[in-house]
Amino acid sequence: MNEIMNLNPVLLIAVPIGLAMLVPILGLMSSKIVKWVPVVGFLFNSVVSLAVLPRVLNQPIIVKIAGFAPPFGINLVAGPVGMFLAALIAVSGFLVAVYSLDYIHEGAAEKYHILFLLLLSGATGVVLTGDIFNLFVFFEILCISSYALVAYLGNRSGIEAAVKYLIQGAIGSSLLLIGIGLLYGQFGTLNMADLAQNITSFSEPSVFVPMILMVTGLGIEAAIFPLNAWLPDAHSSAPSSISAVLSGIAIEVGLYAVIRVVFTICHVTGSFFVFLVAIAVVTVLIGEMSAFGQKNIKRMLAYSSIGQIGLILFAFSLATEFGVSGGLFQMLSHTLGKVLLFLSAGYMIYRTGSMEISSFEGVGKKMPWTALFFTIGTLSIIGLPPFAGFSSKFLIIKAALAKGDLLYILLMGIVLLGTVIEGTYFFRVVQVIYFKESNNKTEPEGPPVSGLISMSVFAILVVLIGLFPNAILKILTTAASELLNNLEYIRSVLG
Amino acid sequence: MKKGVSIILLLILLWGVVAALSEMPFGKAKLEVAGHYTDYGKEDTGAANIVTSVVLGYRGFDTLGEVTVLFLACIGLAVVLSTLKKQGCGARQTPSLILNTGFRFLFPLILLFGTYVFMHGHLSPGGGFQGGAVIASGFVLMYLSVPKIKRLNHFVSTLFESVGGLIFLVIGLIGLKLGSQYFLNNFLPNGEFNTLLSAGIIPVIYIAIGFKVGSELSKIIDVLLEESE
Repeated sequence: MNEIMNLNPVLLIAVPIGLAMLVPILGLMSSKIVKWVPVVGFLFNSVVSLAVLPRVLNQPIIVKIAGFAPPFGINLVAGPVGMFLAALIAVSGFLVAVYSLDYIHEGAAEKYHILFLLLLSGATGVVLTGDIFNLFVFFEILCISSYALVAYLGNRSGIEAAVKYLIQGAIGSSLLLIGIGLLYGQFGTLNMADLAQNITSFSEPSVFVPMILMVTGLGIEAAIFPLNAWLPDAHSSAPSSISAVLSGIAIEVGLYAVIRVVFTICHVTGSFFVFLVAIAVVTVLIGEMSAFGQKNIKRMLAYSSIGQIGLILFAFSLATEFGVSGGLFQMLSHTLGKVLLFLSAGYMIYRTGSMEISSFEGVGKKMPWTALFFTIGTLSIIGLPPFAGFSSKFLIIKAALAKGDLLYILLMGIVLLGTVIEGTYFFRVVQVIYFKESNNKTEPEGPPVSGLISMSVFAILVVLIGLFPNAILKILTTAASELLNNLEYIRSVLG
Repeated sequence: MKKGVSIILLLILLWGVVAALSEMPFGKAKLEVAGHYTDYGKEDTGAANIVTSVVLGYRGFDTLGEVTVLFLACIGLAVVLSTLKKQGCGARQTPSLILNTGFRFLFPLILLFGTYVFMHGHLSPGGGFQGGAVIASGFVLMYLSVPKIKRLNHFVSTLFESVGGLIFLVIGLIGLKLGSQYFLNNFLPNGEFNTLLSAGIIPVIYIAIGFKVGSELSKIIDVLLEESE
């Protein structure tokens, strides 16, 4: 155990990339072992990240790549935020990889597994790195593998969605790069802590405009309104296991990067947060209202992700310890809930052969387990006790009330209205699944064991975290103080 | 209305960019990090080419990311194209005698030059990416000038591609285990400055990258060609 605890966090990035490069060679030998590679890789990542996580709560681990001290070389900052998200990515990645064992059986499966490994290693790199250009590089790895995976099924809608996503994502990456370039030109450093140290005021135009460029560029991946046009198409035309990862992890990693730029690098204060809160509330309303009108289950889940991202951004923009830890908690419960929903919807779609919600009539009787998992996911996303979503939403409401400002209380009311809409459309699906008799006499069978295992672990996690939220609260509050206190971050990196 | 708003937004953006540009110390040695690279790059990495000392020394981790991006682009292209229906694009023109003869004369020279560029990346301008691109250009010439298309050997190109990337990673991991225990740490002796066998792990990594980039770019062309057949 001690051995694992002392492993270097850089392995969380290096091992999946190495395995991805190993896959083509393994593919030449045997096509059967290839699908086990992501399982092995993310099992390793899960074990390492969960073992290292308690260690970083006291003191973040600064990994100097090639031994050059920051700001001259690249460094990783395995602090509470980074390791918490890395562990979340690793565990969800492992479970989705288990699900994919039987779910992915057509198309270029070998390439699917390579892209899946690289997508999540890019995400891990983004959350762990302490260098803004390195963040860009890993962000590109994340985005390019998502573009390819959206087009994986090769149907017309998939290709169209991938092209839309590619164009908007490429614009976003360019804006991000321009922002980074402008900051580098002025301060001569790419290290995030060093940048944070040099930036005295974010409101000077020479810092403000690069910040806006970076937030916009990253905001496209995070699907913040009005930058979310690509999301519903992309998330609904990918294979379900990929929709799960895109909705549950990729957009949250984008949001993490936005938060990192806003909180740590530019150390924003005051009125800019009011602007972010306003954007967040609009994002919630747009997402939930669009989801309400959907007849296609995957589009509905995709729009619901936009609403959830709005809620997470709302929590972060409160910029208090409660708010930020609520936002991180909501990230956790959204990942678990939304991945569970997409995975269970994946087999319901596969067995009924249609993405229309109306075709799920009677699924509750024919696929009792899958329907149960879907319902658990639903209840958690809406935020009913005793599921994870309740604790996180409760924390956010508490944070908004603690602000004590009438404006925030009013805005919280609007966000809660979004939750009511969310409840309505999710219950409608649950009603179709359980309480409508099917005319269709064919007997759909349940998912294979790999799918059941993966979904049941997600469901158990959702319930456990809902029952014992205090267990992870310490991680969340430490992480929140890392984000809010950028002087501490600078000190821990630059010494 | 719409136009007005966009013009105002663009002006604000322009104002900020101008403000940022006016803050930049052009032509002055004010930048701490860049100054460190030019002053200490030689001692720190042993590479005579300062650009290489930054690319593979100080910021080697970014380069690992870039290598992964290229790998990803190649795989992604293959995924997208493999799903499309094959459609013919008409008869292929037979290459002329000049092209064919020129190819036979130039091909070995191009390969030799590419190899030179990536082997001397730590001494002279160039490196793994550039050398790999030169090699791939030789293969493009081959596709254009050989009457009956010779396809890349899938087995060999996959092997080069994967092994090249893996060598980079394994060297990084060996650094993690040896000596000072840093990922991508330069664990080989720096050797005599400005000779072929100097700068520790840098030439080894550049040779691996050269093979990888060369086979990857050739493979991209190969995949596109398959599409157009």
